Amino acid sequence: MLWIKIIGCILIITSCTGMGWYFSSELKNRISDLRDLRKIIILLRGDIRYANTPLPEAVQALSVRQEGKYKVFLSEIAEKLNELGGKSFQSIWKETIDKKLDNTSLSKKDLEHLGQLGENLGYLDKDMQINTLDLYLSQIEEEIKELTRNVKEKTYLYNSLGVMGGIFITIIML
Amino acid sequence: MEKKDELLKIFSLRLRTMLSKIEFDYEKLQEIRLRVNAPMLVIYDNEEYFLTTLSKLTKTDTDSYIISKNEIRETMEYISNYSLYAFEEEIKQGFITITGGHRVGITGKAVIEDNRIKSIKHISFINIRLSHQIKGCADKVIPYITNKDNNCFHTLIISPPRCGKTTLLRDVIRQLSDGSEKRPGLTIGVVDERSEIGACYMGIPQNELGIRTDVLDCCPKAKGMLMLIRSMSPRIIAVDEVGSGEDIDAIEYVMNCGCKLIATVHGNSIDDIRSKPILGKLVRERLFERYILLNNQGEVGHLEEIYDERGTRIY
Repeated sequence: MLWIKIIGCILIITSCTGMGWYFSSELKNRISDLRDLRKIIILLRGDIRYANTPLPEAVQALSVRQEGKYKVFLSEIAEKLNELGGKSFQSIWKETIDKKLDNTSLSKKDLEHLGQLGENLGYLDKDMQINTLDLYLSQIEEEIKELTRNVKEKTYLYNSLGVMGGIFITIIML
Repeated sequence: MEKKDELLKIFSLRLRTMLSKIEFDYEKLQEIRLRVNAPMLVIYDNEEYFLTTLSKLTKTDTDSYIISKNEIRETMEYISNYSLYAFEEEIKQGFITITGGHRVGITGKAVIEDNRIKSIKHISFINIRLSHQIKGCADKVIPYITNKDNNCFHTLIISPPRCGKTTLLRDVIRQLSDGSEKRPGLTIGVVDERSEIGACYMGIPQNELGIRTDVLDCCPKAKGMLMLIRSMSPRIIAVDEVGSGEDIDAIEYVMNCGCKLIATVHGNSIDDIRSKPILGKLVRERLFERYILLNNQGEVGHLEEIYDERGTRIY
């Protein structure tokens, strides 16, 4: 009986610690995802500013240079844009975000902001595109700054909360 | 089939479906006109037709399909590849050239800044003019614009709009560049300001322009001609629709540095061109050695007359 209790306690503490680690690593991954996104937006802005490249071509070129989840996201957008299948840029952009970026560590708010970017892309003149992308970049910058400022404390908090929470539950159950 | 798909892709889904049901000979299709709250018109084999709601072409406007504002908006989205900003300069001029070299004319409400057209908004009228590559249409012309030493004359193709001057120019370029058994090919530099000659897609010409042709796409003619001379050392420079003062200065430069020039211009006769203030100067100075006049009496691209530098008719 005692053995079962001990094993149960170990399991609870390990899983709670695991959860703590998971949350702290999610936070770090979110920062890294946001940084990758910032890089993509800077490249897109460069392509539009330097070569006036239309969106399908620019997105396609970006997808070739990316790796992993963003590669799939960008190539799917480029493919759908090239189909000219009766959908607006905005709806293609939003649908692909929902479908292809749900496995990233980006928060709901991050995905919402990215979705809003699609509402203004392609609209009006080149200055408008640059300004829209600049505005979005400043939003990402702020988010990254905010997250990196608290990342140390938060990871420490998540890790220790995990361990402590596990011990706390074990004590109560005993 | 490919040409058909390529063209249909620019229309809104509804129009695309309707047009795909009609069996066109795309070589005879000349223009498609879309106007908000008006019937869709198709110019086919030199005749005007209405598109009906049942996807048929008729001569009368009863039961014709009326274009909505949303369809024009959707069509514009596809024409511009979801990126109107990438066509700012073209929109200022009133037309966009799309894949395949077709010209899409647009009008709506002009946005003016400092007395200049900044853009066009509320685009409500679209005219799609199809570009056709007719291989061999320059067969008659080639002997008149080349001499025994296999050199080409400075040539000006004069014609009113829709008479096939770009089509002729394209075939002249192809034939001179490829050469033949009797005539070796010549290196040609093409400045394709509106992407109509080569119909370049991502820098690669979609129309056949010959194996010795270098194309500078989307570049202003005046700057492009000088650039090509310096960079690609062509024997011939070819440009479409010359007219501005800058163009004429560049043409003079090209003619004086040993290159031959083939250009096209809007007009009805040599006198028309002679009376133009800037281009007329080159005609009066007899810088052009051949003038080719086209009209569309009978068929598009009908060769009317060819003159030499003195104005003597040689065809």
